[in-house]
Amino acid sequence: MKGTAMAGDTPPIDARGPGAGDPLLVVDDVSVRFDTPQGPVTAVDRMSFDVRPGEFISVIGPSGCGKSTLFNVIGGLLDCSAGRVTVGGATVRGPHPSIGMVFQEESTFPWRTVIDNVAFPLEVRGVPKAERLDRARQTIALVGLAGFEQRFPSELSGGMRQRVSIARTLVFQPGILLMDEPFAALDEQTRLLLGDKVLQIQQDLKQTTLLITHSITEAVQLSDRIVVMTYRPGKLKRIVRIELPRPRTSDVVSSPAFGHYVAQIWGDLREEASRGMAESETAGRSP
Amino acid sequence: MAETGVLKPPGVLGRLGPVGRLRLVIIAAVLLSWEALAASGLLFRDVVPSLHRVAFALVRLLASGEFWSNAAVTALEVAGALAIGGTAGVAVGLLLGGSRFAERAFEPYLNYLGPTPKIIFFPVMIMGFGVGWGSKIAMGALSSFFPVALSTAAGRRGVDRVLVRVGRSFHLTPWQMVTKIYLPAIRVPVLNGLRLGFGVSVIGVLLAETKLSNQGLGYLVMQAYSRFDMPQMYAALIVVFAAAVALNAFIERFTVPRGRRT
Ligand SMILES: Nc1ncnc2c1ncn2[C@@H]1O[C@H](COP(=O)(O)OP(=O)(O)O)[C@@H](O)[C@H]1O
Ligand SMILES: [Mg+2]
Repeated sequence: MKGTAMAGDTPPIDARGPGAGDPLLVVDDVSVRFDTPQGPVTAVDRMSFDVRPGEFISVIGPSGCGKSTLFNVIGGLLDCSAGRVTVGGATVRGPHPSIGMVFQEESTFPWRTVIDNVAFPLEVRGVPKAERLDRARQTIALVGLAGFEQRFPSELSGGMRQRVSIARTLVFQPGILLMDEPFAALDEQTRLLLGDKVLQIQQDLKQTTLLITHSITEAVQLSDRIVVMTYRPGKLKRIVRIELPRPRTSDVVSSPAFGHYVAQIWGDLREEASRGMAESETAGRSP
Repeated sequence: MAETGVLKPPGVLGRLGPVGRLRLVIIAAVLLSWEALAASGLLFRDVVPSLHRVAFALVRLLASGEFWSNAAVTALEVAGALAIGGTAGVAVGLLLGGSRFAERAFEPYLNYLGPTPKIIFFPVMIMGFGVGWGSKIAMGALSSFFPVALSTAAGRRGVDRVLVRVGRSFHLTPWQMVTKIYLPAIRVPVLNGLRLGFGVSVIGVLLAETKLSNQGLGYLVMQAYSRFDMPQMYAALIVVFAAAVALNAFIERFTVPRGRRT
């Protein structure tokens, strides 16, 4: 199958990933419709793109454009109304064993300590206790939470809890890391530094990563390519390849090339975001 | 108060704080008025026996083998009732909480039957389970079923949906979903339901025992009453009350969410 995009008024610049080899993850003409009391809502409309092994891809779009819906479809938690998602050539029909998900919502287990939260995926896979606690401890240190192992989530800040969720998914070293606005609850500084951490981990492990975000700087800082979505219905607007040199750190945000990319994507998003804002104002809901 | 710079170690009363002191005052006031009422002789015969007679009766009661064998019967009946009513309540609550359809179809009945005094079913239970412990357990089980089922259903509905998605994304087996997501997530509401269920099953069992039985604490209370042995009746009531309070406090220890202790 081809991962070429088919929707959108503007033809996508580059729907194919870098490097050789077959794409690992293909989103193939995916549409999602919800039946609501007010009638059917198309949340995702004929989205197509692919992700190569080891690639870092971001999906960006204004709030409410269907990013989380797409995230759930790729993670196998939601069936699409049309199209399909394949991983390694096989169609996704439920949670795929090599996909690790980090959710947008608060998702730590309030009844488990930090270390027991992080060790959770290993525990359900039957990894022996000593080994799983060891690996959990390492991953906790990786996200900068060493010393908080025995705390409960309620004793941590929102940003720290989100880092626990990230560690909980990283700990089993998923082949594909799928994250839905994982840094949204963090302050800007923590976000940049944690972004560095995730990027470093991703580069070290050559981990294929799909990050969903509404932050342009975050997307440009981390990604090889950025998938820009339109607002309602969520269509593919453009795919932008980010040619900033690697290894990249948060320092890149001050480079002129970075500013150029941000301006370019903001140009794409401005129209969508203002449409979203206008709509949410008339509908009286918070963005 | 500590402005003078000298911090005196607080005495027993000081350590209790204002609320604790008020509680002590209330207890003392009740005991004093009780004693005054007893001494006044205003009430017919022994309705309010003096405190020392109740105390003596309490000691006599606790020293008698008859008391302990009856207490054991009641305790076993309550335990059996809570085991049956609690298990059924948790199971039904999980089903109701897990399905919008079941909730809308069945929950109104539970809501109406829940607060109904279960003693009206006692004649049925006697016919079904006899005058012995069977009908008492049935009464207690029937009483405890409702609060446990309703509380479990509410707890099941309150389970954070995202945690279920986390479980699915980690490929939990259905059994792991139950033991590692649902049960821990509903632990507090279930235990709260069990606490309520315990209270009403004690009521159900004791009430049934006072109506028709030949053993148990309720029977003992009624025996004392029919002999007009008021001190012993009060002594038995005090024991029941103290046991209920102690067990309630014990269950409550488990209903404080972990990590949220203040
Ligand atoms: N389960 C659902 N039922 C009905 N509509 C939904 C559902 N989930 C999402 N939507 C709608 O789909 C659109 C996209 O939502 P979402 O994917 O959460 O957006 P984003 O994550 O980009 O903010 C929104 O308009 C939302 O109201
Ligand atoms: Mg979202």
